[in-house]
Amino acid sequence: MSGNNLSFYLSFGVVLIYAAFALFAPIIAPFDPFMISGAPLASPDATHLLGTNDLAQDIFSRLIWGTRATLFLGIVGALISVTLGTVIGIVSGYYGGMVDEIIMRFLDVVMTIPFFPLLLVLTIFFRPGIYTSAVLMGILGSIQGVRIIRSQVLSLAVADFVVATKALGARGSYIMARHILPGILPLVGVKFVFSAQHFMLIGIGLGFLGMGDPGVVDWGQMINRASQNGGVILGLWWWLFPPGLAVTFLSLALAWFGYACEDRINPRIQMMRV
Amino acid sequence: MEKVLLDVRGLKVGFPTMDGQVKASDTVDLRIASRETLALLGETGSGKTVLGMAILRLLQPNTIIEGEIRFLDRDLLTIPEKDMRKMRGKEIAIVLQNSGTSLNPVYTVGTQIAEAISLHQGLKKPAALSRAVELLDAVRIPDPDRMAREYPHQFSGGMRERVLIALALACNPSFLIADEPTKGLDSVTRQQILDLFREINQDRAVLFITHDIDAAAALATRVAVMYAGEFAEIGPAAAVLGHPAHPYTRGLLASLPERGMRAIPGSAPSLITLPEGCRFSPRCTSVSERCTLEHPGLVRVGPGHYARCMLYD
Amino acid sequence: MIEVSDLRTSYSTGFLHRTEIRAVDGVSFEINSGETLGLVGESGCGKTTLGCSILRLVEPTSGQVVVNGTDITALSGRALRQFRSHMQMIFQDSYASLNPRFRIRESIAEPMKIHHMGDQSTIDRRVRELIEEVGLNEEHLNRRPYELSGGQNQRVVLARVLAIRPEFIVADEPTSALDVSVQAQILNLIRDLGQDYHMTCLYISHDLEVVRAMSDRVAVMLKGQIVEIGKTTEIFDHPSHPYTRMLVSASGHHMDEMAAESMR
Repeated sequence: MSGNNLSFYLSFGVVLIYAAFALFAPIIAPFDPFMISGAPLASPDATHLLGTNDLAQDIFSRLIWGTRATLFLGIVGALISVTLGTVIGIVSGYYGGMVDEIIMRFLDVVMTIPFFPLLLVLTIFFRPGIYTSAVLMGILGSIQGVRIIRSQVLSLAVADFVVATKALGARGSYIMARHILPGILPLVGVKFVFSAQHFMLIGIGLGFLGMGDPGVVDWGQMINRASQNGGVILGLWWWLFPPGLAVTFLSLALAWFGYACEDRINPRIQMMRV
Repeated sequence: MEKVLLDVRGLKVGFPTMDGQVKASDTVDLRIASRETLALLGETGSGKTVLGMAILRLLQPNTIIEGEIRFLDRDLLTIPEKDMRKMRGKEIAIVLQNSGTSLNPVYTVGTQIAEAISLHQGLKKPAALSRAVELLDAVRIPDPDRMAREYPHQFSGGMRERVLIALALACNPSFLIADEPTKGLDSVTRQQILDLFREINQDRAVLFITHDIDAAAALATRVAVMYAGEFAEIGPAAAVLGHPAHPYTRGLLASLPERGMRAIPGSAPSLITLPEGCRFSPRCTSVSERCTLEHPGLVRVGPGHYARCMLYD
Repeated sequence: MIEVSDLRTSYSTGFLHRTEIRAVDGVSFEINSGETLGLVGESGCGKTTLGCSILRLVEPTSGQVVVNGTDITALSGRALRQFRSHMQMIFQDSYASLNPRFRIRESIAEPMKIHHMGDQSTIDRRVRELIEEVGLNEEHLNRRPYELSGGQNQRVVLARVLAIRPEFIVADEPTSALDVSVQAQILNLIRDLGQDYHMTCLYISHDLEVVRAMSDRVAVMLKGQIVEIGKTTEIFDHPSHPYTRMLVSASGHHMDEMAAESMR
């Protein structure tokens, strides 16, 4: 299993590096990302490792600062999504009956509305902002997760040991917290990782479409500006590509980490089924 | 004297695990004649299922197997895989344990039996399907024509067992291995399955692997009692089950509810760390010091009846 | 002590085309205090559903169950939950009956915690007592279910059930999945502890020999109804209902037949 461990730690390491960049951005970035720090549209040199954009801001600094928005959207969005999805999934799966029916039918209807367009519409409605986007993504994204979590809860809820604990006279809330929740945590954890990856990419998409938070440095917005303000025509690859590459690698690392987590929880699930 | 169909010599089967090697089968010798039913009686962890799977070479690739399994003048352990494949299902068939996973839920029962037939007899689909219906009838499934078009989940436990038997009989094998066919069945269904086996066992050699002592009494001509990877006792069914020689066999019979339900103290040893000397000695009520020092061999205690115990040495 | 009156439990399937399956179809019987009543029948006859219905683990559609004077079919919510400590169930699959993530000591302590039966040290002491009573020892307390055998897990389940000293136990095929020698150990344990704790028991099984060994009286169930009920010796020696007769004759007598043949 050492190959699997390698994937796990390596991918996690990459994610940590990005997190470090986000955390220590003020220290690592040579310039303030909004400050004019030289000639506009300059090519990379010793001071400006990736040159400057049309507003004479240092691209390299903006790249580093952009990590924050990306990670924030991904992590906070995933946190909200997973928490909401878990609560609804557990309640729906455990109680079953009418409660479950109502919730599931409601979700069925909502799920027919495509995620991204709905997100766009709501973002416009509530006005773009990093917190708004995170919350919206969390709420909309939770819907998908409910299904998976609920099915795991359904199979747990009929396990003999849950019935036995019910037979002991334990209350529903106790059983859900002590027996069901720990049973689905591995699944929830994996879901969290994949959701984070998903939301980061969506966040970039929003930024690209101009729905990003204007007060924050955002890779999506960077790509947008680069493509609109001459990056493509002038062939300024150092302006156009780095954000895209950065998000690609982060996304890959997270996906890789998610798969490594999945592999890890599997033997444990199998052992539990012995 | 019946012809010997299966001749197992010195079979050793081991599984490497993180904690050590699991010695599922330790130098087993076994002979089955062409019309006899040998019941392999043992509890969980005795190694009996492994023996059955080893004969068909259905164990995992990393299993360690030594010894000889002679069948029809060939050593099954040394023949090439493609020859082994021709044997499986045709000459030697196995009725696997009836878990819900033994039958493919996606195909109808008739299709699955027909597949077994086509694999070896090259019949075209319609011919194979009608033969499948015949087989379902032979295992006493009512309305076989309709049932052949149903899916496994629509069958009850007892009916699924019959389907597995039909699958095994598809090419009329000369040697049948049945692995726990009565497990999990209620008493009425179980009796029906035993009656069915009585019928089909007449025409072939059968290795009947079970922990159900009563089933062994019903069907077997000979009984081999397995404990911790080796035979504790082997002999004619009436002798082994009627006047058992080995303390373990005696203990097993005494623990039956209808015989007093006196339990054997302790539990079976792990197949990784086996006790010194006689493997049953930690639990034996007739134990002596010699038992813990020397490992007993099989000793003759009657005509064709052997026990692995110091009491008779 | 237990009085069941005209109990019925049905399942309905289908959304538009409702079909009703009457798993328990009008069952009435009594179990006296300290007695073990065996319940036999083939698979699908409703015996498991009956056991679950009596404990209200499955809601009966109609009928009444009175335990020691209390009508438990009329209880709800908190009162029902509190009453549950008087009646417990043992399932067939011992691995499934224990939370695989809990250590053994946690599983045994849990019932006492739920019913607030003392502080942590009292509970710990009782856990150690219980584990010895069921024939295991303290080193097993730190293990998890998958590290123990089926028989050992069933002992843990017993300890868990006994922790709150129930008066009534429903045992649903507790030894069907176990080997014969382990079964003997567990059945003896159930019998001994049942006497020590003076428990009333409903023993459900399809194995007639086991039921005969464990029960004072036996009820025979067919298609949701009890067709015969009486003392164990009576049922086995002189079965009156044709179905009972069929069950008794189908019960493996091959050992005796074989012995008889070899004598000739």
